[in-house]
Amino acid sequence: MNALRLIIKELLYRKISSLIILFTVIIASAVSVGIYSLSKASENETRKIMREQGLNLYIFPKGTNLIDFYSANNTPCFPENYIHVLAESKTFDAVRHLTGILQVKYPDWKDHNGSSHQILLVGYKDEAMQRFLPEQEIMGTDVVKGTVQVGALVARNIPEGAQFTITGNDGRQYSFDIARRLGEGKGMIDQGVAFNLADLQMLLGMEGKINKIEALGCVCKDGRINNSRKQVQAIFADLEVTEISSIADARENQRLMMNKYGAFIIPFIIISCLLITGFLFYQNINARKYEIGLLKALGNSTGSILMMILAKAFILGLAGAVTGFFAGTLVAEYFGKEIFLFTATSIKPLWNLFWYSLLIFPVLWMLSSWIPALIASQTDAAKVLAEEY
Amino acid sequence: MIELRDITKIYTRGSVTFTALKDISFNINKGDYCTVVGSSGAGKSTLLNIIAGLVHPDSGNIYYNRSDIYQQKAGDLNNYRRKRLGFVFQQFYLMPYLTVAENIRLACHNKQHAGKLDFYLGKFSLSGMGNKYPSELSVGEKQRTAFIRAIISEPEMLLADEPAGNLDPGNRSVLMNLIGEYHKNGGTVILVTHDPSMSEHSNISITLEKGMIQNNTMRVPSTQK
Repeated sequence: MNALRLIIKELLYRKISSLIILFTVIIASAVSVGIYSLSKASENETRKIMREQGLNLYIFPKGTNLIDFYSANNTPCFPENYIHVLAESKTFDAVRHLTGILQVKYPDWKDHNGSSHQILLVGYKDEAMQRFLPEQEIMGTDVVKGTVQVGALVARNIPEGAQFTITGNDGRQYSFDIARRLGEGKGMIDQGVAFNLADLQMLLGMEGKINKIEALGCVCKDGRINNSRKQVQAIFADLEVTEISSIADARENQRLMMNKYGAFIIPFIIISCLLITGFLFYQNINARKYEIGLLKALGNSTGSILMMILAKAFILGLAGAVTGFFAGTLVAEYFGKEIFLFTATSIKPLWNLFWYSLLIFPVLWMLSSWIPALIASQTDAAKVLAEEY
Repeated sequence: MIELRDITKIYTRGSVTFTALKDISFNINKGDYCTVVGSSGAGKSTLLNIIAGLVHPDSGNIYYNRSDIYQQKAGDLNNYRRKRLGFVFQQFYLMPYLTVAENIRLACHNKQHAGKLDFYLGKFSLSGMGNKYPSELSVGEKQRTAFIRAIISEPEMLLADEPAGNLDPGNRSVLMNLIGEYHKNGGTVILVTHDPSMSEHSNISITLEKGMIQNNTMRVPSTQK
């Protein structure tokens, strides 16, 4: 008699107990997958929201007075290639999304009516990729060469369809297509213009120079700013790191909240389900003691009886993991649409989680049946077969 | 074939000890039909379970073909039960979720055994019932199914523990005839019962009382007179 057939027939015979065990796996798997999917969606949502707020770490030349940085146009600069050195350094992993920036005040910009305004010019370098770290979506401002993005207050002084025109350091007039008119409330750039870094360097005659790197600091064990500062200064002692704590705090709090939430709920549900399963397996073993006694009397080994119980737990764990994965994903998609604004439609099955589920839940459910299986395998056949039943 | 030497088994529950068997010794040869008779608590089932390799004696030895079964490895003891022994119980112990054929196949160890399934079903008036479940069978049909399961692997020895305890006179007679037929075909039978009348087929009759042999008789079975 095929052992698998015996297990399946027993499983189908004791439908209620089998269904409850299956249900516990589905619940545990669905809750884990659902919460994990939602926490991933929450992270993405946070990332999108935080992107609007910008990057949280600024790297300046040492000695830069930040008051001067925003008010004067002669702040210290450093070579643009610093950013590549940082990106290529394998000891530099506490900071991501390195974006080189040249930011200056331009005191005398003439609008179409000939009025003069002090505006902010910001040149953005394409985000530097740290190839030795996992790839991430680009967060920095991406300005195509030959175009500009104008802030809301500057845009009011430029007619629709017109180009942005400005006098360069060499006295010549330069015109750029306006790729985007930014909305209000974007901070200092409201009164400024965003360039591709190379365009602005050429305009100002500052080729190869930047005066700021904006980046994103990690949430590190020894404090996010300390670690970032240590790593930057180990490579370039002439740079210093400043944190925009409001953005960093919001990002960290959001991440910690989801982590704490998942760290409590998922183990709680899984452990509860495992305890229920252990109890049901124990009951199942009691109900089957005559069968187990008979199998022993027929010469089945202790090991084969142990394996038979564990195999049943494995089958239920596997079936529950698959069902739970899809149920959890559906729940995450359904509630995600209600909760998240930006990422509502991008909650998709996490297939790496699917494979983990196929491994984790059958193993956990086999562990929960381990003690009942051991009890079954130690059944005293002589004793149970002598009992009235 | 089977030799028991000074078998003693003591059960302890809390501070109370109970001697189930004391210094039991006897031999059973191939082809013998041995009945162990005794009242409840006399130690009959313990003796059968010791012979079956299911209960370790506290002292003494039991030899099967001159090999002490309790000195064997666990795997060899399992093989001894699987290949040498067939069991008939008072309860039939049929798995409720397996069909008649599947219940019998539990005791098949190779295709040859499984190939004889239809032959036995026909022989024991169970033709066409292979796909029925135990709940659909009469008591007699359950008993015959359990009996086929006991003998389908052609064991050398049939161990029967109060096999007729739950049967009406008609089914009891059928079962005793089946056991008798197994014996006539060369099988060795050890049957324990509280009913002395069931020893009429046997050539060895052992009477147990309080764990000790009171009477060990070798005789010509009444059915052969």
